Amino acid sequence: MPIDIQNLSYTYLRGDRPVLNDISVSLPAGSMLVITGPSGSGKTTLCRAMAGILSHLYSGRLEGSISVKGKDIMAYDGVEELYYEVSMVFDDADAQLIFTTVGEEISTSLRNRGFSRSTTEEELVRILGLLEIEDLVDRPPYTLSGGQKQKAALAATLALGTDILILDEATSELDEAARGVVFSLLRQLADEGKTIILVEHMIDEAALYADACILLEDGRITASGSAEEVSRRIQESLHPVRRRTTTANGDRLIEMQDLVHCYGDLRAVDGVNLTLRRGEIIAIIGENGSGKTTLVKHMNGLLRPTEGSLLISGTRCHDQSVSLLSRHTGLVFQNPDTMLFEDTVRKEVAFGLKNIGRDTGCIEAVLAEVGLGGREEVNPRHLSRGERQRLALACVIAMGQDVFVLDEPTTGLDPVESLQIMEILMRLADEGHGIVMITHNPGLATTYADRVIRMNNGRIVSIEEA
Amino acid sequence: MQEIMQYIPGDGIFHRIHPLTKLVFTVILVGLAVLTGDLLILSGLLIAVYLAALVGGLSRGLTEQIPLLVILGGMLVLFTVLTMQGGEVILTLIPAAVPLIGGALPVTSGALLFGTILALRFSVMLFAFQLLVISTRPGELVMTLRQLRMPIDYTLMFLIALRFIPTLQREGIRISEAQLARGYSPGDGFIGKVRGLRPVILPLIFNSLGKADTLGMTIDMRGYRRGKAEPDPISFGRLDGIVITAVSLLAIMVVAVPLM
Repeated sequence: MPIDIQNLSYTYLRGDRPVLNDISVSLPAGSMLVITGPSGSGKTTLCRAMAGILSHLYSGRLEGSISVKGKDIMAYDGVEELYYEVSMVFDDADAQLIFTTVGEEISTSLRNRGFSRSTTEEELVRILGLLEIEDLVDRPPYTLSGGQKQKAALAATLALGTDILILDEATSELDEAARGVVFSLLRQLADEGKTIILVEHMIDEAALYADACILLEDGRITASGSAEEVSRRIQESLHPVRRRTTTANGDRLIEMQDLVHCYGDLRAVDGVNLTLRRGEIIAIIGENGSGKTTLVKHMNGLLRPTEGSLLISGTRCHDQSVSLLSRHTGLVFQNPDTMLFEDTVRKEVAFGLKNIGRDTGCIEAVLAEVGLGGREEVNPRHLSRGERQRLALACVIAMGQDVFVLDEPTTGLDPVESLQIMEILMRLADEGHGIVMITHNPGLATTYADRVIRMNNGRIVSIEEA
Repeated sequence: MQEIMQYIPGDGIFHRIHPLTKLVFTVILVGLAVLTGDLLILSGLLIAVYLAALVGGLSRGLTEQIPLLVILGGMLVLFTVLTMQGGEVILTLIPAAVPLIGGALPVTSGALLFGTILALRFSVMLFAFQLLVISTRPGELVMTLRQLRMPIDYTLMFLIALRFIPTLQREGIRISEAQLARGYSPGDGFIGKVRGLRPVILPLIFNSLGKADTLGMTIDMRGYRRGKAEPDPISFGRLDGIVITAVSLLAIMVVAVPLM
């Protein structure tokens, strides 16, 4: 048995209660397991247990047994011996790219296995081909998109050639097509006899490839079986989707005509026509690098059109400053940690309000609206990822702009947290705001948006009305 | 965006010679800059590094650093003048006519000369190091350091420092865009600018610290500290010989000239 866990409980050092509680899992060779569950349910901790990190690098309290390939995990000489058997891809791809090009990253893993220079070259080409990233070989990490970084980190880990491969939310920034490529590759590796463990929030897609799925809740396995069964159970526990009470009216908040944006010779946005009306939710989908983020950065003046015209709340925005335009459009970036810096939730929301000279009396009400009522004095860094995402949203909606733009607001969030964000957005649209969200989750887009816009190579290729 | 200390692909002389040769070139130049205190020799060394970059087609990589050098050099001279006195008083920063404190903060010829020497010395070091870094793939540089039997932890530290410079630059831009979107505008004047850095610097520090844990686990789990990769044997070409000879001649001249 490649991985056998019996009655595992784990409490982090200085933790007051176990993060994992009496977990037993056995994985045969050639199997692919999906682990899912809400944020904070212990998925990452379970992955770290399987990779030997808890036993060898952390000093919490571990009870029960973990064996890797029939040998007790403590009998290995640290993770540096385990690396011949188990490899793991973490959720932060950027921190896993240590070398200065993708090619070097992968080659170093290969050379470390003792491969000769020529075998390394051959293997490098093969691995790049598996993930369809041949064109990235000479690219430094800082030039890659989030999805490309995740593929590069996975490639460098595949190069280690271990029999057990763990992916901890390592596909969260991939678009639908890229996820398909990765999942079918993982299935192929499992069919060749490897053992694959995949932590995923969007299990509907992974269900097509996996053999089994477990649902973790509060550190315990609360459901196990086929991925379809577990997925059905999760869907049943979610509240039914609320219908919108209003629809878009005539006011045009954003009007783009033949908008072009060039980075040097690259036309990142290439002739886009788009109108956002009051009370409307628009979802923008498309592959990594299709121009989605470049497009929305025009909506608050962070980027200016190279050609074409752009009206924000009826005003031509070409010569307006960002701080002026930010009174019309609020933008929430994908990663809430790019904006949070104060030491309390209250100060964090007050920062934006003070910047535009608004009264800070609304803070409690706004925090209650995003489900953070009563948390005013908490340090933002002590909140969970989902809570930080809602705080980032609160910071922007408190400023009361007409338009809210969100770049992938549900990345890294579980289905319940994603639903909470969508509920907030629907409420804002009902109140008459215009909403634009970029998402890699097509299900979310078609369920909640009035229009779904697909982009490819900087152009709008399809518009779907709800 | 201009990248600091990043490899520039090319096919010039500096790209073709062995990283060890470049390392020797850099170490000798830095050594000479430290050993000599002669204004003319330091200027000569600076010109020599620039000419070497020009021949290697990398002069732009150095000239882009000139604004930074001027600022840092100016500050070095200023601090030296303020904290050191020697030789003749050329002028006083506070004119003698000012009551009570008139004639304070004298600028002396000795301090000015020493400050200029420090600034030039610093420029030679920075140019030489910049030339090494922009003409060598970091992976090759690390391999060379390993060939020299430098401990793997130090080579990884060096590599990670180089690798994350542009990432931090970009992250800084992303954070400042996120704050701009919240209506933030950096204050006016020097104090305003410094106070205005807080919303950008703090997330940058927190996010970088957040990466350190994953980075450490990745290094361990990929076995970089205990890998089987053996460094290739060092092989020099004709061009390496020429560069080593040239830099050795330069070193002999620098040592010999003051003796003559």
